[in-house]
Amino acid sequence: MRYAFYVAIREFAENVRTKGFWVGLLMFPVILVLAIKVPQLLEEKATPTRNFVLVDASGEYEGAIEDALRRHHAERTLKALGAYGRKYGEIPDGIVGPNLEELPAVDVDKILSDYFASNSEVVDVFLASGGAEAAIRAMDSFLVAEAPEFEEPRHLFKRVALPRNLANGANFDDLVNPLRSFLLGEESFLQNGEPVELFAAILIPDNVAGAVQRGSALPFLEGNEVSIQYWAPNQADDSLLDLVKLAVNKEVRRSEYKANGIDADAVREVEAIRIPVTRLNPKKEAGEEEVSMADLVREWAPLGFVYLLWVALMTISQMLLNNTIEEKSNRIVEVLLSSVTATELMAGKLMGIAGVGLTMLFSWVISLIGVLSFMAGPETEWAGHLLEILVSSGFLTFFVLYFLLGYLLYAGIFLAIGSVCNTLKEAQNFMGAIMIFMMVPLLTMAFIPKDPHGPLATTLSWIPFYTPFVMMNRAAADPPLFDLIGTTVVLAISVVGMLWLSGKVFRAGILRTGQPPRFLELLRWIRG
Amino acid sequence: MTECALEIEGVTKRYGTFTAVDNLSVRVPAGSIYGFLGPNGAGKTTTLRMVLEILKPTSGSIQVLGSSSALDVRDRIGYLPEEKGLYKKMKAWASVAYFASLKGMPRKAAATRAYELLNRYGLGDFADSKVEALSKGMSQKVQVIGAIAHDPDFVILDEPFSGLDPVNQQVMEELILDMAARGRTVIFSTHVMSHAERICDRILLIARGQKAFDGTLDEARATIPKRVLIGSPDSLEPLKELPSVLEIRRVEEVSGGSSLVEVLLGEAGDPQGILQTCISKGIRLKSFDHTDPTLHDVFVHLVGDEAREARAR
Repeated sequence: MRYAFYVAIREFAENVRTKGFWVGLLMFPVILVLAIKVPQLLEEKATPTRNFVLVDASGEYEGAIEDALRRHHAERTLKALGAYGRKYGEIPDGIVGPNLEELPAVDVDKILSDYFASNSEVVDVFLASGGAEAAIRAMDSFLVAEAPEFEEPRHLFKRVALPRNLANGANFDDLVNPLRSFLLGEESFLQNGEPVELFAAILIPDNVAGAVQRGSALPFLEGNEVSIQYWAPNQADDSLLDLVKLAVNKEVRRSEYKANGIDADAVREVEAIRIPVTRLNPKKEAGEEEVSMADLVREWAPLGFVYLLWVALMTISQMLLNNTIEEKSNRIVEVLLSSVTATELMAGKLMGIAGVGLTMLFSWVISLIGVLSFMAGPETEWAGHLLEILVSSGFLTFFVLYFLLGYLLYAGIFLAIGSVCNTLKEAQNFMGAIMIFMMVPLLTMAFIPKDPHGPLATTLSWIPFYTPFVMMNRAAADPPLFDLIGTTVVLAISVVGMLWLSGKVFRAGILRTGQPPRFLELLRWIRG
Repeated sequence: MTECALEIEGVTKRYGTFTAVDNLSVRVPAGSIYGFLGPNGAGKTTTLRMVLEILKPTSGSIQVLGSSSALDVRDRIGYLPEEKGLYKKMKAWASVAYFASLKGMPRKAAATRAYELLNRYGLGDFADSKVEALSKGMSQKVQVIGAIAHDPDFVILDEPFSGLDPVNQQVMEELILDMAARGRTVIFSTHVMSHAERICDRILLIARGQKAFDGTLDEARATIPKRVLIGSPDSLEPLKELPSVLEIRRVEEVSGGSSLVEVLLGEAGDPQGILQTCISKGIRLKSFDHTDPTLHDVFVHLVGDEAREARAR
């Protein structure tokens, strides 16, 4: 076995020296950072200011829409101020970042939006007291010295005035055609002498109040004779549409309350009250059943692991295939076989490439920790907690176990393919079929956690080729012990069987030249 | 060391209905240089692979360095396969060191030895180059060095001269002679007779998987009758009267109306007597040549038909 070990060392040393290996290694943290940073950047920088024209012939809603826009911007500024304060505020001694185990499982962003919606006075106070400028002055003494200047978020929506020749109050039919050419960019829309891109036009007819639909109507079944018209060539970004709808409906409801002699403020206050709902999980210890952020991480982390498992297995199986084909096509294998037996050669290759895979996984975990601590800024605690959760959950143990078993199973297939093919091109024919087969765990990945013990999950768990992925996927849901042990035993037996089979094919195929064997011939090798 | 480095006893290898090696027996004395000759497809490579236990014989037995399994003594064997190949991305020294370490050399010693041998055989400047950057001849040299870096007792070289330029063929010959001088046993296969003629102690000639000849070079030459080549414008019929003359064959027309004729002699034949007879009978001689047959002649004589057939197949 000493020789197998030498083979393994060479396989390891040569493969970790390839460019591909390092690219794979370094791409992971880069992608991780990008995955976190790019959406942030896009949100901050890439969303353009949307210019729109508003013609309110009724004169009822213009004010409400303007007000809604102001408040929308104020809320965004407040959120940005909060983030700014968390990032550059001095953290007094003794205060640590949030503990994920104690933080209830909530979506912070959504909570804030809800909070602003139901506590509109917060925004009122903010606006009344001087907005961002005043807030920054108040925060100043708490900020660290090197804090950069606060940058107010850009206005997402900007109302622009109609060109002078399209006087307000003109007939809509006369407006639509010129607006159409502005919206389609056929004619440049000038604002203060500068051409701007017109995103949308909102036309409110004067008799729109008469078109109000009551609760009993199914809006999409009845044609709307009169309606607010939202003209926009880009129908994918409907944030402005939503904002307008919300503002107009709020306004129309307010006037309805008034008409019926109901105190709108009282209604709003009533609408804002709520009864708390707590998510509890009976699997947790008594007294601590409340579902925390940590639990959410635990529930969804396996998904990440499944994906990593898949990428890692694919990558290193491919390495194994390439190396085997190189040895075969360059006829190196003959020298090797004069020094080691085919079995030793195979074992050495399996060990060496497994080492490459483990190194890759290890470095991924390290860079995950690195990126998390880097991204979390001063609140490093957070990354620490995340790691603690991952380690304590036992996922890593499962991960390594399933990685090794899955690797051996797939390596068996790939070694056998490599040993019967003379060129990568020949191997591609086999690879196509195998890739389709291997896509299944990825395609079902997102559904399995929702029904972790359902027929799909259970069936796939018992298919050895899918066991590593699906059981990893189910890990968070505490699969029954029978499934856990049973599938692993079946997988282990399959691994032994697969290696035995591929050993036979490997020994017979590795010295062979010419066409890959036909199926019947393969069977003969296996029997022989 | 055993007296015989290799004993092949009635070995047969069949692939389905095709018999690659048929009941072959040969004994290779320790310390000798043994040439395995034969036309393409004769079964040389198959035989060598069986010796190395890369292939298993269908029947018969093989003893290598006194062991019935080459695997038990693999560290004492060096092997250069017919189709040469190295890892393209590996450096020259690392390739040599790797093959040596697979033969049981400690890794550090193998690396030192790799540099030493590459230097000795003129590849010192390329020791740190990747194999893909080397020329075909250079990488073949690297592979030869890889095969002998662990200083094996028994070296098997399958077509070691193919792909080498004349200078390096010379180097290769010296390398083989040097190993034999140090008591190592060398088997090599080739179909270039001149190499075998220069350095072999004994040769094995295989055709269609069967032994056509096995013995020393002199014995090989003795398998074809002595002959003289005579160029003359006159008829050589009078020579037929001599008892030692077996046959007279016209080989070709030569310019000036004369022809080249081959006169085959029996065991007791004496070229000197032929010359005398020619002179006494007044046969005009343009040329008279009685050099010993070369190995090439032996080869063509013994397996020429098979070789042609193999090519036609």
